[in-house]
Amino acid sequence: MKFWMQRVAMAILLLLSVSALTFGAMNVLGDPLFNILGPLAGDVNNPKSAALIEEVKAKYDLDKPLPVRYVKWLGDFATGDMGVQFSTDGQPPVSGLIKERIPRTITLLVMAQLLAVMISIPWAAITAARAGKRSDKISTMNSFFLLAMPNFALAILLKYIFSLKLGWFPLTYKAIDPYFERLRQVFLAAVTIALPAAAVYQRLLRTDLITTLQQDFILMARAKGLSRSRVIFRHAIRPSMFSFITVVGLNTGGLIGGSIVVETVFRIPGIGSSLVESVLREDFPVVLAIVMLIALAFVIINVLVDILYSIIDPRVRR
Amino acid sequence: MSEETLTPSDAPETEINAALQKKIGWGFWLAISWVIFITLLAILAPYLHLKDPRGYFIDIDGSGRPPYGPSFEHWFGTDKDARDIFARSLHGARISLIVGFSAISFGFIVGGTLGIIAGYFRGWLDKIISFCFIILLSFPSLVLAIMLTALLNRSLFTISMILGILSIAPVGRLARASTLQFSDREFVLAARQIGASDSRIILRELLPNVVIPMSALALLGMAVAIVAEGGLAFLGLSVSQGITWGSLIQIGSDSATTLENAPWIAFFPILLLFLTVLSLNFAGDRLRSHLDVKESSL
Amino acid sequence: MNDSDPRTTTPLLEVSDLKTYFRTERGTVKAVDGVSFSLQRGQSLGIVGESGSGKTVLSRSIMGLLGRTNLIREGSIKFNGQELMGLSVKEMRSIWGQEMSMIFQDPMTSLNPVMKIGRQIAEPLMLHLGMNKSEARLTAEKLLTDVRIPEPQRRLNQYPHELSGGMRQRVMIAIALACGPTLLFADEPTTALDVTVQAEILHLINEQRVDRNMSLILVTHNIGVVAGNTDVIAVMYGGKIVEKAPTKTLFSSYKMPYTEALMRSIPKLRQASHTRLATIPGRPPDMVNPPLGCNFAPRCAYARPKCLVEEPELTVTENPEHVYACFYPVGSPEYHERKLELSQRVDSLSTGGQN
Repeated sequence: MKFWMQRVAMAILLLLSVSALTFGAMNVLGDPLFNILGPLAGDVNNPKSAALIEEVKAKYDLDKPLPVRYVKWLGDFATGDMGVQFSTDGQPPVSGLIKERIPRTITLLVMAQLLAVMISIPWAAITAARAGKRSDKISTMNSFFLLAMPNFALAILLKYIFSLKLGWFPLTYKAIDPYFERLRQVFLAAVTIALPAAAVYQRLLRTDLITTLQQDFILMARAKGLSRSRVIFRHAIRPSMFSFITVVGLNTGGLIGGSIVVETVFRIPGIGSSLVESVLREDFPVVLAIVMLIALAFVIINVLVDILYSIIDPRVRR
Repeated sequence: MSEETLTPSDAPETEINAALQKKIGWGFWLAISWVIFITLLAILAPYLHLKDPRGYFIDIDGSGRPPYGPSFEHWFGTDKDARDIFARSLHGARISLIVGFSAISFGFIVGGTLGIIAGYFRGWLDKIISFCFIILLSFPSLVLAIMLTALLNRSLFTISMILGILSIAPVGRLARASTLQFSDREFVLAARQIGASDSRIILRELLPNVVIPMSALALLGMAVAIVAEGGLAFLGLSVSQGITWGSLIQIGSDSATTLENAPWIAFFPILLLFLTVLSLNFAGDRLRSHLDVKESSL
Repeated sequence: MNDSDPRTTTPLLEVSDLKTYFRTERGTVKAVDGVSFSLQRGQSLGIVGESGSGKTVLSRSIMGLLGRTNLIREGSIKFNGQELMGLSVKEMRSIWGQEMSMIFQDPMTSLNPVMKIGRQIAEPLMLHLGMNKSEARLTAEKLLTDVRIPEPQRRLNQYPHELSGGMRQRVMIAIALACGPTLLFADEPTTALDVTVQAEILHLINEQRVDRNMSLILVTHNIGVVAGNTDVIAVMYGGKIVEKAPTKTLFSSYKMPYTEALMRSIPKLRQASHTRLATIPGRPPDMVNPPLGCNFAPRCAYARPKCLVEEPELTVTENPEHVYACFYPVGSPEYHERKLELSQRVDSLSTGGQN
């Protein structure tokens, strides 16, 4: 119990630090006044714009000291109020934007993670069983090449081959399309993220599998007359999964980073592309909100990974 | 699958010596050669007889409307504004490589210093520094980079700094771990007994040893920085007005029709980027396993 | 314990000139270098030797469990009349667990740590005997009772680390016996256990053997283990069998000096408590370059020049079941001559030059 409390306390501390730094950076390095009013913000001499400036300052508490604003913002954020989009007409609430876009990004990430896991496990099993042989060496080389390719380059290559030349996947994402069709649209993006992740997972799982396969109980399983695939999947995989699970969980954050680029290339209106757009438009509340959400997701995932780990390994359960 | 081995445990001395002398492999040198090659090209780019990277080489009468495919005139072809890709690629290398190099250097200096301090002095200093590392690592790095580019100006220096900040944590962690490991060794204790000051110990005993495992990380880190810059440039967030590989790739892939009909615009910069990253990764990887062998047989 | 039944003339297992070599960087390790023996149904054979003698490789080689890479395996292994040498892994798999099974040395590492006991026992049952889950579970429970594990139902749902060492070994035995094999290999089954538990486990193995009319090959370095539990004992050294005899005969009239050394290294209750434990000086031979002549000669107290150059063949004694490989065995005139010399030397040393 104490263990959990420690972890949770650390997580909260982390979140607070991250949010404070982000908020601080946004407001110190950026200029919210400028964002809202544009060049008018500097025009203090003109009485009309001066009044406007005062109005805006009051409305967004820009006069109050930074820590006060931070606490207020934090409170708002916790209750779901993420401010408004400065740079969009009418200044609609940020939360609306987030609500609209998050499902797409989540679909993308879930699909990518599933694909990566589904690809990496058999891949690892095969290469572990054939460790040292030619097929294994070729596989290692291929992984290496794959991981050297930046994700945006990979995205472009895949788009070129599968969307443009082969026409298997559509080029644009249309929100009104039926669910299955939308999945197809997201598929290539998911694959782009999944492939390098799968390579990383596979490499790790393969190493652990090879170690496990040297153990005595594997020899015992063989002596029972089990077939090779049975030995691998029924006996060798589970004890080898610990690092795998940890890496898969922790990598989810990395996937989020990948989604930013991939959403842009494949024109998927999710959180990632939204982040890029709002950065280009200098719409800080949006940027702040998205960054915070991502950090939150990160921390929560880490805690979940810990829980999952203790379930998988009965020896760790207390 | 499982084998029974009976070899007695005393391997002859000659085997250990052989392992120490194991070469780092021709692949390593090949990779390093490429990196040096592309760096030289980048440095010398303004002095080579390249076409003007910002010039428009429209030649309606001769070759029709741009984009022009690869030809003797334009080795990598041109984009749809008839700018020479080859020249732009080499010029693009300049920013990409400078950013890569500066970022990792910054990360090494700052991260390395912090890591060594944390590992050497331990205690609350270590706790604070480690916590800072953890904070830096709680973001996907691209997100952090994007956020910072949003706030700061986009000069070469700033972008390098931003990516440098990102590499502080991984470098720092390794430096700290290395320092912790070496601090327990006898030569440090010996130095301390003589009465050497902390800074002397750090500089003369620890630093040279810690640098060795970190050198492999330097190569890998540079690759990561180059990719990160490429990503930022691709999104339009890198050095403003700068030609970098990422921006070239973005130009070549922004519209589907361009990508479909004139793939070379994006593909050549992709090729250069890929080769460079691959070489750095490979060299870093080989260096690391080479050093591991030496370390484990000491 | 019953000896060979004259009615069953075909041996259950017939091993002829089995050789098992490993190709390594240092050279070819001749782990098993020409081993032959036969085993009747229901008979038990003990294979005794130091570590490095090749005994573990022998048992695994007979079963065919060794990995194929860098392995040279020659000779003949006939099981129930069927030649096993040359069979593919797939064909061997139908024999493993079902007709032939093995108990390993360390039950902690030989049982899957993350799988429940019940499942591990049920596995061969479902695979070879085609049982479904509930049938297998019932049979597993019965097996646990057979191996005298209390509260079998509860144990089925437990993990290996929740059981004591002795219980884990019983589980291993249960797994090995699950499908009713005709031949059981026990590879150092008691080495990893407490002394008090060892006897129980050996007793259990023997009991099961008799009940099921099963053949047993018990491999160990401890000659005391095979003393009460086997019909025949084969002593292995340097990849070869150097002496083989029915157990009683071996203990009463062993011929090989190595066997004598093994016998002497067993601590006896009768000895005074300060008696030094007799060990065999020297180390096992290098199996990449085995010595010319008798493998044991470099360490043998009774060796003569001939032993170092020529390799002794297996000779039969008056008892056709008793074979040994030695030029100057126990009881020969040369043996007694040397023994006298040695005792004289010891006397002169202990009197400290008084003469």
